[in-house]
Amino acid sequence: MRRLFADRLVLATGAVVILMSLLFAASRVLG
Amino acid sequence: MRRYTVHGAVWIGVYLLFILAPLFALLTGSLPDARGFWTEFSVAIGYSGLAMMGLQFGLTARFRYVTDPWGEDVIYHFHRQISLIAVGLVVAHPLIMFAAQPQLLVLPEGADVPLGAVAAVVSIGALITLVVTALWRAELKIRYETWHLSHIVLAVVAVTGGLVHMVGWGFYLADPWKRALWIGLTIFWIGLLLYVRFVKPLFVLRRPYRVAEVRRERGNSSTLVMKPEGHAGFRFRPGQFGWLALWGSPFRITGHPFSFSSSAEAADGRVEMTIRNLGDFTSTIASVPVGQRIYLDGPYGAFTIGNPADMHVLIAGGVGVTPMMSMLRTLADRGDARPVILFYGSKDWDAITFREELELLEARLKLTVVHVLANPPAPWAGEQGYIDAELFKRHLPPPYADHEYFICGPGPMMDSIEQALRELGVPMSKYHSERYRFV
Repeated sequence: MRRLFADRLVLATGAVVILMSLLFAASRVLG
Repeated sequence: MRRYTVHGAVWIGVYLLFILAPLFALLTGSLPDARGFWTEFSVAIGYSGLAMMGLQFGLTARFRYVTDPWGEDVIYHFHRQISLIAVGLVVAHPLIMFAAQPQLLVLPEGADVPLGAVAAVVSIGALITLVVTALWRAELKIRYETWHLSHIVLAVVAVTGGLVHMVGWGFYLADPWKRALWIGLTIFWIGLLLYVRFVKPLFVLRRPYRVAEVRRERGNSSTLVMKPEGHAGFRFRPGQFGWLALWGSPFRITGHPFSFSSSAEAADGRVEMTIRNLGDFTSTIASVPVGQRIYLDGPYGAFTIGNPADMHVLIAGGVGVTPMMSMLRTLADRGDARPVILFYGSKDWDAITFREELELLEARLKLTVVHVLANPPAPWAGEQGYIDAELFKRHLPPPYADHEYFICGPGPMMDSIEQALRELGVPMSKYHSERYRFV
């Protein structure tokens, strides 16, 4: 079960990193 | 539990900080002109992917502060799964970059291939090889020891190649301090590897053990009895494990993780590991000579008793009984009066490791052992087949959510038991799993 939690954590981490990368790109282009 | 939740939240925060802070640090100081959105996005995922790859060294550096809230097996699971995201980001970086700027694929006539590009190809090649060999080691028939060494070498090549690519290209690293930040981070990541491979073994080397006895057990297993030599040994909690370096020194690349099977209350620092012969490294255990010097790095793991519980429910498949034996022996030595039930799945009656000692422990503890056999002898009035929710209902008193559950055995068995416990309404905080196959 902790593995299931870890799997969700992996997906959440991936999502946060991609979102932050989008933010990085947006701040460069718009800023 | 609350301590572990806070610990875990801090851990995730630190993990994300180590990825995102160096990325956003690139936006400070002097900046080159922005390129297109997708080019900048591809750069960001490249940096993030490399930072995640670097942090992989930290996940396996055996820091108790990192591993304690989760358990070592979950950390290794996270290490394995997050690597797929990291490699996905690193591979997507050039693909998006070239899709956004296809002209980059064409080398000006007469120009040499830039060092940064060569480093990128080496890094991505190493990463892909690393993932393929990690996911399909068994199918590719790579020995664990060979794989472990190649895994470390490929990881260092991948991260170093990534750094050379970044510095070689230098788009965002024009400021010396930014270059220093990323070079420093890479040194830190590889330093974590050096810590676990060279510094930690130095401490282990100063605290050797001697094999005092090798005991044959049922189920093609052997117990190594080890005594500390010239030191007091370490205290462990029942259910924890250690890394065993049996032949040679602790500097050798490959240690093997095994649960302690002895009581945590042993006064003289003596520890025991019970190991089943699975045909690999484990086949050498039975022939280890008494007096052999060995090295133990431990204890590790969060699979331990200690939380308040009305009763302990231990669920073991095959050699997964070893941490349970440590728990039972410890509870008996402590005179614990709470009920304990052990569901123990075995191939057949003769293969039940610790069968006789479990009968003795039933007299010392309020212990019930439920043997579940795949091939029961005739006649057999006990349980047979698989451990499932119906079996729990036959033997456990409700409410099921009040008990503390510990599960250790083969992966498919553990998956089905976790499912059965969910069906019985047992919350995640009440059960603990230990998967002994990391790779």
